[in-house]
Amino acid sequence: MVPDLDLGGADAAMERYATGDEAAFGELYDSIAPRLLGFLHKATRDAFAAEELMQETLLHIHRARGSFISGAPVLPWAYAIARRLMTDRARRRRVEQRLFAEAPADDEWMAHAPAAATETAEDVLHARRLARCLQQRMDALPELQRTAYRLLQQEGLSLKKAAEVLGTSVTAVKLRAHRAYVALRAAVREAGGAP
Amino acid sequence: MNAELRTRVLAAAAAEPSPTRAAVSRRNMLIAVVAAASGIGAFMIFAEFMSESQLLRLGGEVVPQQSLERSVWLVAATVGGALAVAAMALWLALGRGRSMLGRSRRWLLYGGVLIPVSLLAWKVGCSIVFGDAMVPWPERPGERCLALTLLVAAGPLLSFLAIRRRAPVQPALNGAVIGFAAGACAWVAVDAWCPVAYVPHLLLGHVLPLFVLAGAGALLGQMLLSLRPR
Repeated sequence: MVPDLDLGGADAAMERYATGDEAAFGELYDSIAPRLLGFLHKATRDAFAAEELMQETLLHIHRARGSFISGAPVLPWAYAIARRLMTDRARRRRVEQRLFAEAPADDEWMAHAPAAATETAEDVLHARRLARCLQQRMDALPELQRTAYRLLQQEGLSLKKAAEVLGTSVTAVKLRAHRAYVALRAAVREAGGAP
Repeated sequence: MNAELRTRVLAAAAAEPSPTRAAVSRRNMLIAVVAAASGIGAFMIFAEFMSESQLLRLGGEVVPQQSLERSVWLVAATVGGALAVAAMALWLALGRGRSMLGRSRRWLLYGGVLIPVSLLAWKVGCSIVFGDAMVPWPERPGERCLALTLLVAAGPLLSFLAIRRRAPVQPALNGAVIGFAAGACAWVAVDAWCPVAYVPHLLLGHVLPLFVLAGAGALLGQMLLSLRPR
């Protein structure tokens, strides 16, 4: 889970930036960039693509600052832009081609492995297999289910904000995240881990 | 956090000037004036060619030797109601509530459908109360009203899309509602100009163009409102 950041600060910085305070963009960057980058990195598993998408997202926010609604939360907007850009990118097959061409290193899988599974060599192997299986299942999920799950479970967004980002209802987000959860739980069971 | 990335993003933003809220407000005001001028201009040109500059028509010849006049109160009621619906449609289409992501899909769907339904219901309801206006006009199937609506709404549609600029989620649906809103504005002018309240005429000449505009708005919205990487 991403540490709780001062999002009120991000909204205030965006408000000042919308009214012409140029220095506020740096504050806005510091407030939202870590979460945004984390979200994009988890979604693309490509550091270069994540950085590029984050830069593009922030530039979109910069270009649209004049239309920023006073009092509106900035983070769901940023996630929605990032998601849209990511989807476009995926459509053009650039990220997918890179994902298929470059298998991630084992160390990367380890980062997602449970801490308790590192006691013996067998446990390490099992944790790696489990993580790989989970990642494969996550990649195979429909984009909407995957993003709903990530926004709720990994980014810690509320159901309402996740629904705004995805442009759908709270019920639909619940359903998509639940389906993703069920699929991931099945993957764990198949891989021999605790369901 | 990568300091080099931070420097790069901030430098990219600094290199690309973007308008502040005050500048955007001024620009939107200007676009709104252009939208109103284009709509009114198109209406006047159409009226000049079609009805010798008559912008308000109370009646005409239904069939040879039979004419019908609308009451001024009926015109005031239908035009006033249409104005109220158009104002609500604009609020729905151009406002975004308190979110940068705009209104929810449910708001847009229900609101979008309600615009033509409430316009038609108001027109028919008022006309039923006033009686005579509902008679069939064989000479006027509605193609001129259809053309008038599309002509008057074209400028406002483009202007409203320019005011909305971006819709990160549901750009097509937002565009469709903008199309309905532009059509609702045009409905006000058409209502003043057209004395016919025969339902098949209303469906062809007044309601159908709203759906044509919504379709055009959806296409344009998908093209113009969605985010594109530069």
